[in-house]
Amino acid sequence: MRSLDVDVVVVGGGSTGVGVVRDVAMRGYKAVLVDRADLAQGTSGRFHGLLHSGGRYVVSDPNSARECAEENVIVTRIQPTAVETTGGLFVCGPDDDPDFGDKFLAGAAANGVPATEITVAQALELEPRVNPGIKRAIAVQDGSVDGWQLVWTAAQSAKEYGAEVLTYHKVTRIERDGDQVSAVICTDLKNGEEVRIGCHFILNCAGAWAGEIAGMADCHDVQVVPGRGIMVAMNHRLVNSVVNRLIYPSDGDIIVPVHTVCIIGTTDVKAPDPDHLPIPHDEVQKMFDAGEVLVPGFRNARALHVWAGARPLVKDSRVGAGDTRHMSRGMGILNHAERDGLKGLLTISGGKLTTYRLMAEHIVDAMEAELGTSHPCRTAEEPCPTPAPDPTYVPTNYHVTHRLHDREHDRMEDPILCECELMSRRMFTDKLAEQPSASLDDLRRQLRLGMGPCQGGFCTVRATGVAHELGTVDTERATGLLRLFLEHRWLGLWPILYGDQVRQTALDNWIFSGTLDVEHLPEGAEVV
Amino acid sequence: MANTVVIGAGLSGLVAAIRLARAGRGVTLLTKGIGGLPLSQGTVDILGYAPDRVETPIQASASMPEAHPYRVLGPAAIAAGVAYVQELLGDRLVGSPERNVLLPTAVGSLRPTCLVPTSMTAGVVTGGIRYVLVGFRQLKDFYPLLCAGNLERQTTPDGQPIHARGIILDMPAVEDMADSNAIGYARSLDNPAYRIKLAAVIKPMLEDGEVVGFPAMVGEHDASAHRHLEQLLDHPVFEVPLPPPGVPGMRLNALLTGLAKEAGVRIVAGARVVTFESDGDRILSVGQATAGRIRQYAADTFVYAPGGFESGALNMDSYGTVTETLFDLPLHGLGPDLITAGEPADQALFRVGVGVDKEMRVVDPAGNAPYSNLYAAGGILAGAIRWSEKSGDGIALASAVTAADSILKGA
Repeated sequence: MRSLDVDVVVVGGGSTGVGVVRDVAMRGYKAVLVDRADLAQGTSGRFHGLLHSGGRYVVSDPNSARECAEENVIVTRIQPTAVETTGGLFVCGPDDDPDFGDKFLAGAAANGVPATEITVAQALELEPRVNPGIKRAIAVQDGSVDGWQLVWTAAQSAKEYGAEVLTYHKVTRIERDGDQVSAVICTDLKNGEEVRIGCHFILNCAGAWAGEIAGMADCHDVQVVPGRGIMVAMNHRLVNSVVNRLIYPSDGDIIVPVHTVCIIGTTDVKAPDPDHLPIPHDEVQKMFDAGEVLVPGFRNARALHVWAGARPLVKDSRVGAGDTRHMSRGMGILNHAERDGLKGLLTISGGKLTTYRLMAEHIVDAMEAELGTSHPCRTAEEPCPTPAPDPTYVPTNYHVTHRLHDREHDRMEDPILCECELMSRRMFTDKLAEQPSASLDDLRRQLRLGMGPCQGGFCTVRATGVAHELGTVDTERATGLLRLFLEHRWLGLWPILYGDQVRQTALDNWIFSGTLDVEHLPEGAEVV
Repeated sequence: MANTVVIGAGLSGLVAAIRLARAGRGVTLLTKGIGGLPLSQGTVDILGYAPDRVETPIQASASMPEAHPYRVLGPAAIAAGVAYVQELLGDRLVGSPERNVLLPTAVGSLRPTCLVPTSMTAGVVTGGIRYVLVGFRQLKDFYPLLCAGNLERQTTPDGQPIHARGIILDMPAVEDMADSNAIGYARSLDNPAYRIKLAAVIKPMLEDGEVVGFPAMVGEHDASAHRHLEQLLDHPVFEVPLPPPGVPGMRLNALLTGLAKEAGVRIVAGARVVTFESDGDRILSVGQATAGRIRQYAADTFVYAPGGFESGALNMDSYGTVTETLFDLPLHGLGPDLITAGEPADQALFRVGVGVDKEMRVVDPAGNAPYSNLYAAGGILAGAIRWSEKSGDGIALASAVTAADSILKGA
C-alpha cells in the first residue's frame, strides 16, 4: 500500500473538483484530487459546451443569471484557450410567445446580463441558417467552452501550486477518527494498488456520485438527484454563434457551435443511476424536431454522435422529486459537521460549469470557516497556465481555425493522424508521453482524436500503431486499446445513426471488418 | 440493336457490362464516379466466415441463411461468376475457388480470402513462415511492428508457428514529404529508380528465408514493379492491403474498366442516376443528372448494381425509414431493431436490400417483379453482411454473371 499525507482531499475530477483543488492549493493547502476515471470524464465532459451569458436564466433563476454573467467574463479571461467567444442569440420561434422577450430583457437588465434586441434581419444576417420565421432576436454574450480544456488547464494550475492529481483512483473507503475524517482509501485502477491518503479535510465534489462518497463516511441519505440530459453533435457548425430559443427553459432549446461541430441540447429526466444513462429513441427524435424549429433542414444534416450527462442536482422540497429541470441550478453545500456531527467533510452538489470557479470559491470559503482560517481567493485574477509552443506565445481565445493555422506551419514536417480534427502525430505523441497509461479515449478528450465525421475510421489504427511503435504499449495492450476505442465510439453512434453517417459506418465496417478483420485479431489486454 | 443500361461501376457493374458487351449487346454504363473497387483489397473473397472460418467457400455457401444471395444463386452460379473473373484476369489472380487461403492484414490478423493477386501470393500463411514487414515512417496507414506483433501471437490453422518481425524505414515517397499515403508511394514505386533505391536500403536487413511484406503500394500502373522488387531483394515479396484508397483495388478497377471499354461498353461517369420512366411494367429509361439537365438513357433491360449503404443507393433517414433511393424498390429484411448496441459490423440494417429471383430480376418480398426488365447485382442485394462474411466479391461476380446471362437468354 502506498500512502501520502495532505491537508485536503478533493474527491471528483470534474469542473467543480478541479476548481476546488486549484483554489485550495492557491490558498496554501497541501491538496490531492482523486477521481475514479479521467479528468472530466463524467458530467463536465458530457454537456453541450455552453459558456452561459446568463441569458438562459434571466427569467427562471435570476441569481444564477447574475453569477453566470460575471463568471463568463472571468473564465474567458483566465482560461482563454478553453473558450471561444462566439456570442449568442435568443430567437423567438414562429410559434413561441413574443411577449416572453420583454420579460427576458427586463430580467437581463435587472441582473447585469448584457442583452440587446436586434432586428430579425440582423439576426438572419449573422446566422443565415436560422429559421426565417423567427419573430424576435436578442443578442447576448454566450460563448462555447471545451469542458476538457477547462478542466485540464485548471488542474495544471493546481499542480503548479503543488497539488497532486490522481486519476483512475477510485475511493473505496473513508476513515474517520471519532468525529473527524482522517483518511481516504483509494484503489489505483491502473495497477490495482491500494493508496491511503491521510488528511484533515475532504471536499466531496463527486457530482452525481456525491451521495455514494458521503455514504462511505457514514453520512447517509445525501440526496443528489441526477438529471439526465442528452446532447447530439452535428457534423458541422450549422450556426457560428450560440442559438437559444427565447422561451422558458425547455428540451432542445439550444444549439452551440463547439470546435468543428455544433451540439443541440438537451433533455432533463430524472436518472436513477448516473453510471447507466440511456439514450431513448423518443428523446433523440425530440432533439431533431427542436433542431428543425431553430434551423430548418436540421434533420438533413449529419448527426455524428450522441451522449448523455447527469446533472448533479440538489433535491429541493419546493419542487416535485421527478421534476429535475426546475430544481435549483445553484449549488448546495452540505456541512456534515452540522448535519451528521462529522468534522472535515463538505459535500457539494448542483451548480454548473460556467460558474465552477465561483462554486469552488464558496466551497473553500466554507472549508476555511469550519477550520477557522482565512486566506483570500485569487482564482479570478490569475490566469491558468496554457500549453505554450514558445515562450513568447500569448494565449488568445480559441478559434475554430486554430488547428488549420497550426497545420499550415508544420504539415511539411509532421503527418496528420486525424484529418477530421487536424491532429498531428506530434500532438498525439506529446500527450502520450505525458500520459503513457492513457486509453485512446483519455487522449481523445484532450486531442479530439476520432471525434470528427469518420468517428475513428481512419485515425484509430494510426493512433494505436504509433503508440505501439514508440513502445508505449505492447501488442496485447495495443489490440485492447484499438478494440475498446471502437466499442466506445459505437456507443455514441448507434442511437443517432441515419443518412450519411450510415454510409460512414458502412465504410468503417469495410475498413475494420472487411480489410483489417479486427474481430479476428488475437485477444487484446483488458484496458482500464 | 438490343441494349442494356448498367448502373454502377463496381465489380458487379463492370463484370455484367463486359459480359453483355462481349455477347454483342449495346451496353451503356452509368456511374456517379469511381466504383467500390478502390475500397477493396484486390483479392476475390467468396466466403470467409459463416460465421466460423470457412475453408471451402463454394461448398460452405449452401449453409448460409435462406435469405442470403448465395442461397438464391446456388453453388453453380457462384462457380460460374468466379470462373468468369478468372477468365477475364487470367494469371493475375492465383488460387482455386474450392479453397480459401489466409493472408495477413495490416494489423496482423489472418484474413480468409480465395483468389489472390500475384503481388500477394507470397504472403499466404504456411507453417513456419518467416515474415518481415516493412513500414515507412512517412506512411501513416501501416505499422509493421503491430502487424508483426499480432502475427507472432498466432499459429497457422494446424498449429504451426508463425514468425514475424517489423522494420521501419525513414524514406519518404517524395523528398521532404512527411505525410504520404499509399498512392503517393505507389506512384514513386512505379519508377524503377525508386525501387532500386529502396531495395538497397532493405536488402542488408533481410535474413535468409524471410518473406518480405510491404504495404500494398508496390506500383500503381507498372505491373512489373512487384517482380522487379523481388529480383532486387532476392526474396519473395508480398503486399499487405491497407485501408482505402486501396492500390490493389485501384489496379483491379483499372483492368476491368479497360476491358469494358475494349468490349465496347460506353461508360458515362461523373453524374448520378436520379430519375426513371416506366410504363408500369417495364423501365423505359433512366435519367442521369449531368450538368445543366437530366439526360435520359433508354434501354430494353437494366442492370442495377449501385452498391449498398456505403454508396448511398440505400438510405435510412432520421425517422428510421429505409429506402432504395432511385427506383424506390421494395426492400427485403426490414423489421424492428435494425440498429442496436451490438457489433457495428453485424447490424441487421446492413442485411436490408433488394430481393431478386433466380434470374436476378428484382422482386418484392412476395416474389412479384415490380418491373419485368430490371435486374440487380452486387452490394444492393439483401441478406448478406459482406464485410463480415468476406463475401462481397463472390456475390458481385455471381449475381453479375447471372443477371447478364438472364438478359442474354431473354429471360
